[in-house]
Amino acid sequence: MKKTNRFDEDQPFLLRKFREPVLDPSTGMTNEEIRQALAARVSDWDDLPRPVGKARVFEFICDNMAIAIGPHDLFPTFACHNRHRRPFDVVKNHWDGILNQRLKHWNDILEGNRVGRFMLWKDFDHSVPDWDDTLRLGFAGILRRAMEAKAQHAANGTLDDDARAYFDGIEITYRCIHRTLTRFADLARAEAAAEDDPRRLRVAASIEAVRDREPRSIYEALQFIYLYFMFSEHIDFMQVRSLGNMDRQLIGLYEDDLRTGRDTEEGVRECFDYFFMQWISINNYWGQPAYLGGTKADGSTEINALSYLILDELGKLRAMTPKFQLKINHNTPRAFLRRALAMVRDHNASLVFICEPGLWRILMAHGASAEEARTCDIRGCYEAGILGKSNGTGSAHINLLKAIEFALNNGTDPVSGTKAGLETGEAESLATFDDFYAAVCRQIGKTVADGITYTNEYEPCLEQVNPANVFSPTIRNSLRTARDGFARGCVYNSTGILFIGAATAVDALLAVRKYVYELGVVSLAELRDILNRNWEGAEKLRTRILNDPLKYGNGIPEVDAFAADFCHTFASFVNGVPNARGGCYRASIHTARQFIELGKRTGATPDGRAFGDEMSKNASPTMGMDRQGVTALIRSMTTLNPLDFPGDFPLDVMLLPATVRGEEGLEAMEALVKTYMERSGWAIHFNIFSPEELIEAQKHPEKYEGLQVRVCGWNTRFNDMDKREQDAYIARALNIAD
Amino acid sequence: MNASTPIHGIVFDILKFAIHDGPGIRTTVFLKGCPLNCLWCHNPESKDARVEISYLATKCVGCGACVAACTRGCHRLTDGMHIYDRTACVRCGGCAENCYARAIEQVGRPREVGEVLAEVLRDRPFYETSGGGMTISGGEPMAQFEFTRELLARARAEGLHTALDTCGFAPQARYAELLPLVDLFLYDIKTTNPDRHRELTGRPLDLIHSNLRFLSGAGARIFLRCPLVPGVNDSDAELAGIAVLASELEGVEEVNVEPYHPLGVSKTERMGYAEGYSAPIPPPEYAQKMTARIAALTAKTVRRS
Repeated sequence: MKKTNRFDEDQPFLLRKFREPVLDPSTGMTNEEIRQALAARVSDWDDLPRPVGKARVFEFICDNMAIAIGPHDLFPTFACHNRHRRPFDVVKNHWDGILNQRLKHWNDILEGNRVGRFMLWKDFDHSVPDWDDTLRLGFAGILRRAMEAKAQHAANGTLDDDARAYFDGIEITYRCIHRTLTRFADLARAEAAAEDDPRRLRVAASIEAVRDREPRSIYEALQFIYLYFMFSEHIDFMQVRSLGNMDRQLIGLYEDDLRTGRDTEEGVRECFDYFFMQWISINNYWGQPAYLGGTKADGSTEINALSYLILDELGKLRAMTPKFQLKINHNTPRAFLRRALAMVRDHNASLVFICEPGLWRILMAHGASAEEARTCDIRGCYEAGILGKSNGTGSAHINLLKAIEFALNNGTDPVSGTKAGLETGEAESLATFDDFYAAVCRQIGKTVADGITYTNEYEPCLEQVNPANVFSPTIRNSLRTARDGFARGCVYNSTGILFIGAATAVDALLAVRKYVYELGVVSLAELRDILNRNWEGAEKLRTRILNDPLKYGNGIPEVDAFAADFCHTFASFVNGVPNARGGCYRASIHTARQFIELGKRTGATPDGRAFGDEMSKNASPTMGMDRQGVTALIRSMTTLNPLDFPGDFPLDVMLLPATVRGEEGLEAMEALVKTYMERSGWAIHFNIFSPEELIEAQKHPEKYEGLQVRVCGWNTRFNDMDKREQDAYIARALNIAD
Repeated sequence: MNASTPIHGIVFDILKFAIHDGPGIRTTVFLKGCPLNCLWCHNPESKDARVEISYLATKCVGCGACVAACTRGCHRLTDGMHIYDRTACVRCGGCAENCYARAIEQVGRPREVGEVLAEVLRDRPFYETSGGGMTISGGEPMAQFEFTRELLARARAEGLHTALDTCGFAPQARYAELLPLVDLFLYDIKTTNPDRHRELTGRPLDLIHSNLRFLSGAGARIFLRCPLVPGVNDSDAELAGIAVLASELEGVEEVNVEPYHPLGVSKTERMGYAEGYSAPIPPPEYAQKMTARIAALTAKTVRRS
């Protein structure tokens, strides 16, 4: 593409694209109109085999949606712009309701969520297509390959009714995609002719290209990725949890573009700008993942010219999304690592550093080959999956602090007053710390066991609610087995169980050990009553416990060893347990936002935490309890065994700008990443703020429009957080400044 | 030394992830006691070689634990208000030990070389990836010479990079003794004007200059560290003096400009000292300006510390 200098002019229009889409009503219905139309006939597809029924809904949406080719854009506009109100969820919720009626424990799930012993939801849409294959195929190629697989099943005599429905669903869906792409291309050609606009002609050509064959330029590849994303995530209700290993997968096309003169570096940069603007406009709270880097089979780095180009453009746009994971290894060029770290320090991109050595070790320990580990996808926040062979669902988030509440209250939830846990004995009867510890472990074990039981009830039925017609044919094993790619058609079909509040639980257990069983300052029953009163009348004890240095995150060997044992204990309840999809369960210490949400439902805890306060995030210390600095934090964290957490193992680092200013600061950040990598860490990311800056931003949000903070595996604008969350960040910054 | 007689030093802080005290990620060990009395000192709690007690009233919860712990009646609670009268205090630290609100804290405690070294070594993985190591600072490390020498020797034996932050006011023979144990001297130059030096620090400049020349001549690697206070020690002549020293002395590799920061002010109150020097924080461009002015006069590297 030749330089147009139009991007700056187009940017405001692009930003509005997914917020207030401009559509031509004569081309079809709006998002809401489609939802209404589906709601009016929600049962119409119930009697068809589900994949076929869903494909018919897909057709209904695509054939009826309004479309546009924006004059300010390189990518087409879909009426289905609102990912919070995707049309298919009208039907999905109906089919989910049918499933719920059949679930024996549906009410137990609702009750467990209400009490906050766990947060359990059905994961129907968390997948990554095989981008290597799909970029070689294009949309027509994907369908052709699926039809070849169908013929093979017919020849083998394995094309039973289910297999036929599976392939029919794919065929209807991909034929519909073909038809829709033709609609887009025809509209683009008509408008190009009417308005003498060569750019829309180019848009038309790129859409036709990826409709009929594999992408052959960077622009076509980005067009394909965008279109796949829209068809899968917005219409087929199947998230695309990574846009792929973009530098590795696209470098060949980039080099061809430059060599053949088909495009210039400037033109490619601009393509990426328009491409990134799609997700900036969509503005998902948790961001759109993609990743860079990695290691080639010969041991050299995958970082290439495109890796730098992508970082440049992200920085230029100060884009919070797409959020990029960077695969880092000893071979990673220093210049690349330093550029990324400098961007993180200036808060102008959402980046996380994925350390390959530790990650490979974990994947191999859980069944991956060395080659599969090397080429693994990074998905979502920092999770890893075997490329083209795996699909992981996230099921239950286990509240570790609630288990402590149950142990203190003999199975009763003190917040709701319901008997939601096991009867492990009244506090008065737990004579030793070991008695108490065993009770806590049993409570956790019971919550995990229930979470697994409930998950096993619905996971065999995933494709009864949301068959993955767009996604399945991107996965070879799915085609080979004629099984739904999302539900159980991958080689590795894992289910994640996430543990929330690990560090706070460690601090709480150690506080009980010391103040109840060693010093005898209070009895366990007295402590229970104090906690149930939210520390009222015991403020001094609370201060004493809060100020006690015996906390996880300070590099204290005794504490860290206890934490490692405790983590191994609860992770063992999960890892390797067979799931209902032909795979197994995997423990994760990634909290997403549940450290806040479950915190709201959890009473005061023995570590000094008050009712409703957030608990510790990921494998990080409890907020404000790490007082020994970042090196101690990394020593603590890497004392835990990452092999216990095949789901993921992220480290959050908060630093003051003054401590990492200048070249020395950048070098120090680099050394932190490398040290963490050498100690078998997996993911590390940074928040770099001064408390003064955050306090100013809270007072004068208008001056800090662009200020981003890192939440879990994503960035958010500081201004978009509620005051309570902002205050938590300020408290963290004050703690490290102290 | 005889392994059976452990050497203790009065240490007031061990700071991890120190990245402005020499190359890489370092651990800086701060010792108490300094022969100088610099007007603007930002570590006033490091001047006195003895253990001291700091008290921050805003953290006090009025629990009375200190009252019970003190054998000399220094702490009392009047109408829930905590009064700390230091006149009879012997700095035993009993109150601090019992203050779980951390309002009262002991500043400095005797620590054995091996114990300090063990703590420094905990961060060895970070030194290895960053080219860092251990820095001894203060106070003035030479004021606890035996401890400093032993800690340096044992750190060296462990293969650590060592740096010594010194004001230069100690017998030359002692610097000679440390030469083989120190990879980098962070050598403070407060002013190159002898009269001003006596006024601002209470000590003469000659010994400091002669030690600096001695170290340079003996092959030491030196960074000059120059705390600059607006209107106090940043005259043209003083900046030129720093540049001349840097140019003349072969051992000086860098000049580090350290703009004044009123860090010492808040500490003064909690340490129970008479009010000290206080001036506003210089604007951010001050450090750049000073750096540029010195850099214009010497070929050596000059940068903000």
